[in-house]
Amino acid sequence: MRPQRLVIELQNFYELSQRSFLGVFRRPFYVRDIIEQMDYAGAGSFFIVFLVSLFIGMALSLQISTELSSLGLKMYTGKIVGISIIREIGPVAIALSFAGRVGSGMASEIGSMVLGHQVDMLRVFGIDPIKKLVIPRVLSSTIMLPLLTIIGDAVSLFGGYYISVFVSHQSGSFYWSQIRAIMGFQNIFSGIAKPFIFGFVIACISCYMGLATRGGARGLRQATTTAVVLSTIMIIITDFLLTRILFFVLGMQA
Amino acid sequence: MIELQDLRLSYNHHRVLDGINFKAHFYEKIAILGESGEGKTTILKLLLCLARPDGGRIIIDGRDITFLRESELLDSRKKFSIVFQDGALFDSLDVKENVAFCMREFSTLSEDEIENRTREFLRRVGIEEAIHLMPDELSGGMQRRAAIARSLAACEPEMMLYDEPTSGLDPITADNICNLINELSAGTPPGRRGLIIVTHDVEAAVRVAERFLYLKDGKIVFDGSLDALTHAGDPGLRKFIKGLLPR
Repeated sequence: MRPQRLVIELQNFYELSQRSFLGVFRRPFYVRDIIEQMDYAGAGSFFIVFLVSLFIGMALSLQISTELSSLGLKMYTGKIVGISIIREIGPVAIALSFAGRVGSGMASEIGSMVLGHQVDMLRVFGIDPIKKLVIPRVLSSTIMLPLLTIIGDAVSLFGGYYISVFVSHQSGSFYWSQIRAIMGFQNIFSGIAKPFIFGFVIACISCYMGLATRGGARGLRQATTTAVVLSTIMIIITDFLLTRILFFVLGMQA
Repeated sequence: MIELQDLRLSYNHHRVLDGINFKAHFYEKIAILGESGEGKTTILKLLLCLARPDGGRIIIDGRDITFLRESELLDSRKKFSIVFQDGALFDSLDVKENVAFCMREFSTLSEDEIENRTREFLRRVGIEEAIHLMPDELSGGMQRRAAIARSLAACEPEMMLYDEPTSGLDPITADNICNLINELSAGTPPGRRGLIIVTHDVEAAVRVAERFLYLKDGKIVFDGSLDALTHAGDPGLRKFIKGLLPR
């Protein structure tokens, strides 16, 4: 991509993100569309989040308990699994799954509306496509991803518990006491704040790519792929930046 | 009054429109003819500012709308309604919801009133029985009829814009669509609703239009009546309208 084109794309993306954020507080409110999108993004993603979280929790617990047992520290499995899941792996893994399922869906749905002139028809009717199409998706994504992350974290911890107790033969009550010990404000805030930002980033990127779709089926494929790839990259970069910021804000030491 | 002044537009370094000039009244019935890829649909999009030109001006009722912001275009867009080639129905909504779309967005009508009006518009275009079908369950002709009903329900436009309304249809359905187009623009000028039809179906154009424009290499190379069209000297145009010429 030429630098001039890149600057224009970034400028357009910034404008869409800004309008999506500010538009949440301005009329008209498309409540029906917001609920529909929340159902698609939230309830529709439950199963995939459940599966991903369960197996990540189990795999993590297996790895950590194996390593710790060689050091004679197997009893700390719950603590390490809990911190890893709540602060880092849970929010990121669930956001990545969300980007794959919901982000690609947003990009392809809006993209196909662009190609089918449906977005043009909205404009002809005097309806702002950002208000009607983008804001409900941004809002639903920003609300539902944190909720899914909470559920996913819980499922991961149960997965970790299963492995700790039934495979590594540790005490279940000790595992949960370790989990309770790490449930401080810093860890919970750190784990919950990230998905809000991830949800916003995924929805903005996906909607932007959808609206920028050009050139038939091939263009739609490219827009959908780019939406998922960019969302994935941005989740990882944003995660690092947020971790740095949260460490600073919450007074945590590296 | 519609006025296009020296419109120029390029896509990916390819010049699509290269100095389009024409004036028309809202009550005129105009056909824009030309081969595929000559920028016919682009002219319709420019009239609605769905695309922006690289140069030139679009003037609607004396107001230059070329580079107005979206929020400032509402008044000029209300004068037109467009029916795209594929109908452009909202594919997640059934026919009833499509036609009722603008009534729900902009009016305070009750559900019963919306239902009655929707049925009335669908009856007008002859597909009342399809009210509960989804767009992908409709035939090509029905999709276009539903799109016309939706356009009429959205506003009572001064001018209808049709993008290839008969393309891909069998001759009988195409004939029915032409009849419907004529019905919606019936009457005598200046009191009637005008139309611009973009097509490469010369027969359909002759059935609904009174003024003909022929686009070639991004320019309007012919602008005249049916009589002038059949006597045009341009070899490309004569080849294009071959079916109309006496053998």
